[in-house]
Amino acid sequence: MTPLIQIDQVSQTFNRHQPDEVQALRDVSLDLQTGETTVLTGPSGSGKTSLLSLIGCMARPTSGRVHLEQREVTRLPERFLAEVRRENFGFVFQQFNLLRDLTVTDNILLPLTPTSLPAREMRNRAEEVLERFDLTRRATLKVRQLSGGEQQRVAIARALINRPRVLIADEPTAHLDHALAEGLMELLSSLKTDGTTLILASHDPFVIDHPLIDRRVQLHDGALA
Amino acid sequence: MTRQWKLLDYALASLLRRKGKNLSILVIYTLTVATLASVLFLTQSLRQEATKVLSGGPDLVVQRLMAGRHELVPLNYADPIRKLPGVKSVQPRVWGYYYDSLKKVNLTLMGLPAEPEILVLLEGERPSKGQEIAVGRGIADTYGFGVGDSLLLIDAAGEKQLYRITGLFETGSDLLTNDLILFPEAELRRFFAMPTNRATDLAVSVYNPREVATLAQKVRYHLPDSRPIGKTEILHTYDTVFHWRSGMLLTVSLAALIAFCILAWDKATGISADERREIGILKAVGWDTTDVLALKFWEGLAVSLVAFLLGTILAWTHTYVFGAGLLAPVIQGWSVLFPDFDLTPSVDLYQLFILGMLTVTPYIACTVIPSWKAAITDPDSVMRS
Repeated sequence: MTPLIQIDQVSQTFNRHQPDEVQALRDVSLDLQTGETTVLTGPSGSGKTSLLSLIGCMARPTSGRVHLEQREVTRLPERFLAEVRRENFGFVFQQFNLLRDLTVTDNILLPLTPTSLPAREMRNRAEEVLERFDLTRRATLKVRQLSGGEQQRVAIARALINRPRVLIADEPTAHLDHALAEGLMELLSSLKTDGTTLILASHDPFVIDHPLIDRRVQLHDGALA
Repeated sequence: MTRQWKLLDYALASLLRRKGKNLSILVIYTLTVATLASVLFLTQSLRQEATKVLSGGPDLVVQRLMAGRHELVPLNYADPIRKLPGVKSVQPRVWGYYYDSLKKVNLTLMGLPAEPEILVLLEGERPSKGQEIAVGRGIADTYGFGVGDSLLLIDAAGEKQLYRITGLFETGSDLLTNDLILFPEAELRRFFAMPTNRATDLAVSVYNPREVATLAQKVRYHLPDSRPIGKTEILHTYDTVFHWRSGMLLTVSLAALIAFCILAWDKATGISADERREIGILKAVGWDTTDVLALKFWEGLAVSLVAFLLGTILAWTHTYVFGAGLLAPVIQGWSVLFPDFDLTPSVDLYQLFILGMLTVTPYIACTVIPSWKAAITDPDSVMRS
């Protein structure tokens, strides 16, 4: 079976040739299948976030290649890389990274703004995800007026508005209490049921040992353990 | 197109989110444009007025110089000019200035007939006998007079003379009608104590306006103490005077424009941490560098266009509704001695376009260029924030 994403001997070095040079990833090779739920684990600084960035086309490796459905994306120009990112990936950041002065709906619609999708279609999609994440009544509120759990739901709704095939979440339970974390995992389960490929990075045992997870990838000091 | 509309919509919402910063830029920007546009409007209107005055005037005015000073012209100077081929008519003109110390205005007194074709009587009739005058609309407004009222003037002998206003006239130009009083010619000669065989100058009409310069040379040849002045020369003088004054003002205003550019640059380059973070988030959710730059372009265009339009409207109001009270003394120069008059609105679209280019373009550049650095930021940095 052809992997959805192929990571081929990827290395990532920050501040190259500088005194503070950091080797975040070393010769990592990894295949990720469609519909699979993978969790990257490892201590802080082990390279989980760097690997997520490379998978999600948010950064380019110093060496090695990343393929999406057998198409090499590593050397794509920035404009096409952004398009690949927009059309294939949804991101849930550790700090949510929402625009606090925008309304819930406006935040959710951000990935669709620079597309040629008509405004009516955008509204329909927004209503759909708002309903799915029980945010309809919060739609016109500013994000800063929401609780942490609600903000996380907005972040996930934003990640899904462009109907991505892959959802990437970095430490999704880092700021949630146990009840909210359970709710999140239920939500992710429903996404998996819908066929979304999930790639998580976490060192939370609740996530790592959750029945939702198909595969655990251990990183240590930038390399696969 | 849909994409650009959505980016514009987002840009406007983004501007509203930073109301304080953008409002302060808008106010300063508007005032800068208003100052520059006021100078342009006022200069253009004055030039337009001058052109209208001259369009109805003679092709050539012949004065006499004595010891380098303007002297009255003997009426027989008209004879050799009439004989020149190409000359249609020569009309001696009797006119002079009168300063009314009470109203603190300079008036032009002129004997009839004087280019009657450009003077349209609004009311009443032309003065035909002694102690009768017709006045321009500006004077009627300044003195609050109408047809049938009387005006007291002091003649060359220091005697008070009471004149009855028989008519009120208007031309296409306020510059002409505003300070003009028409007298029967004989009465004006008596008022100024001017000899009957002399005139203030000679108004010459020609068949072919292109021959004015040649005819002027011939006049100078036949009458060495004469000074022929062509219509285009007068227009050129008006142009020079108004352009010099507006140039001075524009130079001063340029300093304001430069100061504004520095401020705009400072504001734009000082992208806050929040703005940088926002750009990072936008890139992380799928925006590319051109999307971010397009967003900044729309933001800059929106602010600069609104400021340009507001500034232009403000300048129009200042110039044509409030009589350019702040700039008129500098550009008109003699306005303090002249009855107030309404400027005829006149806009040179080319000048306005240049003003737009000089103000809108630098601001957009100030907005877009500094954002470039933030826009090419790797979205990966947001993952680590």
